[in-house]
Amino acid sequence: MSTWDLFVNGFSVFLDPYTALMVVFAIVVGTIFGALPGVSATMAVALGLPFTYSMAPVPAIVFLVAVYCSSITGGSITAILFKIPGVPSSAPTTFDGYPMAQRGEAGKALGIALGSSAIGGLVSALAMLTLSPQLTQAALSFSPADIFAITFMGLSILTCLDSKNILRTLISGLLGLLLACVGQDPMYAVQRLTFGSGELIAGLEMIPVLIGIFAVTEVLKQTKKRETLKSEEGTASVNTKMPSLKEWWGIKWLLARCSIIGTIIGILPGAGATIASFLCYSSETKLSKHPEKFGTGIIDGVAASETANNAATGGAMVPLLSLGIPGGNAAAVMMSALVLKGVQLGPLLLVNQPEYLSATFASMVVTNILMVVVAIGIAKVFAQILAVPYSYLGPIIIMLAIIGSYATNMSIADVKIMAIAGVIGLIISACHFNSAALILGLVLGVICEGNFSRAYTINRADIIGMFSRPVAGTLMTISIILLVWPIISSLFKKKEA
Amino acid sequence: MFELICNVLLWLGLLYAYFFNVLEAPIPDRTARNPYTLKPDMWPKAIIILLLICIAINIFNIIRKNRNNPDFKLDVLLSIRARLCIGIALVIAASFVLEPFGYMLTCVLVLFFYGLLLGQTHVIRLAIFSVVITIVLYVVFSVLLSVNLPRGTIPELRNFSLYVESIVSSVKSAIM
Repeated sequence: MSTWDLFVNGFSVFLDPYTALMVVFAIVVGTIFGALPGVSATMAVALGLPFTYSMAPVPAIVFLVAVYCSSITGGSITAILFKIPGVPSSAPTTFDGYPMAQRGEAGKALGIALGSSAIGGLVSALAMLTLSPQLTQAALSFSPADIFAITFMGLSILTCLDSKNILRTLISGLLGLLLACVGQDPMYAVQRLTFGSGELIAGLEMIPVLIGIFAVTEVLKQTKKRETLKSEEGTASVNTKMPSLKEWWGIKWLLARCSIIGTIIGILPGAGATIASFLCYSSETKLSKHPEKFGTGIIDGVAASETANNAATGGAMVPLLSLGIPGGNAAAVMMSALVLKGVQLGPLLLVNQPEYLSATFASMVVTNILMVVVAIGIAKVFAQILAVPYSYLGPIIIMLAIIGSYATNMSIADVKIMAIAGVIGLIISACHFNSAALILGLVLGVICEGNFSRAYTINRADIIGMFSRPVAGTLMTISIILLVWPIISSLFKKKEA
Repeated sequence: MFELICNVLLWLGLLYAYFFNVLEAPIPDRTARNPYTLKPDMWPKAIIILLLICIAINIFNIIRKNRNNPDFKLDVLLSIRARLCIGIALVIAASFVLEPFGYMLTCVLVLFFYGLLLGQTHVIRLAIFSVVITIVLYVVFSVLLSVNLPRGTIPELRNFSLYVESIVSSVKSAIM
């Protein structure tokens, strides 16, 4: 199927009124979830999952993609109005967005945030459509050793997730890899690490673990704080006046740079929207002619962060659809949902189920355009929503987590796993481990082991021979450099100090 | 100190898993004799060895950093807040009572008691909120999205769930 056919096929999905309606509903839900503090994009997608259980695969994909994209954008609303980033990737938006709101330029800040989010999202959607087929063609020629090398490269980014706590991040990633071993061995179905529990034979279901670690842990943290979120006076009516064309023209190169960087970071497994927004904000500070103005409330700061985090959403879909490797936590949740729907993620997607790729692209384009209109409306009423005390919001999140975990397999065991994962998430946080690294290990663990095992047998136990292929060899070399470099550089810095 | 205790417990747990629990069943003969296959215990054991090394270094780092810290005491009980413990207990209890109590009673209880824990003082308002949200979530998930929510194993609760389901299905068929 050509790119044009994919393009036409994708948009034909929206001729179905049910699908079109679900997209609007998903944008509203995603923007609200994204704007709610403590509800990350991952959690928004996880909470949106139960809505898709009774849907056909295409509306389910469209719905989840719309929730994912709009939740990233929704995070900017509270970041600008109240200095509370709704999602972690909106944290850099507060640096310039909040000072603008305090100066009475909330409308302009929101306009820039929503507009640049849409631009970033559209660029990455186009990249997804144009890069996915090529990447798929390349991926079809990959051997198990090559795929292992790719997943290992995803794991090698662990040391970059938290450069100040490399050892703890490594421990978290390794714990995730170990948790992925629970259940039956992928090659010989021998039970491992089940501690005699029959409920663990099938392994740890990813969705309950994700819901537990993200949603339940967050509510438990809030329980400790006993905080209620109150709206600030004067923010109830928000004038979302879009910035002038001249102002947009002034940041055209910034938008282009951040769209490209955001998309590339989104493609890298394990990176994601948060790293993209921070990286683009800091790089734009370095590239700017007036770096001293960053942080005082300029549109460049808001645009850099918001373009990058939305561009990362499209980027994350490239390896997810082409290789079956999630680019981030939210993509990992989406991967679980799509597999449940029978979507064959990976190189064969374009060959066997091209309609799913085109649906994802069309959904991203439509969502990024509609989102601007919907988010402006939501921003206006959000002051009232923020006034809902956490004593009402927290219990609803707990119940949605319970239902979401149960509904995955209609299994009470999954609910117990979710509850335990919530407590583990709290311990991880208290011990300064990295929950994102743990999730990355858990998600990539099965793919990593399965392909390593296959490559080991194919190459007759010759590990050096496994990586003599150009792709595997190059990727493993890059991975080892990526893995070791932060450790070496920190040692050098210590010596210099 | 809490961090140190967690790390030590994790290290000991991994050591136990390495020696006793990696494999729950013997490796099939053909696999065991084939020199070109990755044995099912090799991958997890390799990860455990790496983890044991990393956690040992982490424990050493924690002790070294806090060697001269006078506040580094066995204050685990003080560092864990009572409210947090109740929160954890509520979540775990909810996961265990979901099967016997079913969705309806569990949902009402979780919404009510977690609301109280999060500082809600209007008990009547909270009770009404709990019932209303239980109904809303039931309608969204069970009626609109056809998710079979647990009915409960206690006969009275199960019968009540079946009664509600019969009302819902009759309303559905009347609309259709």
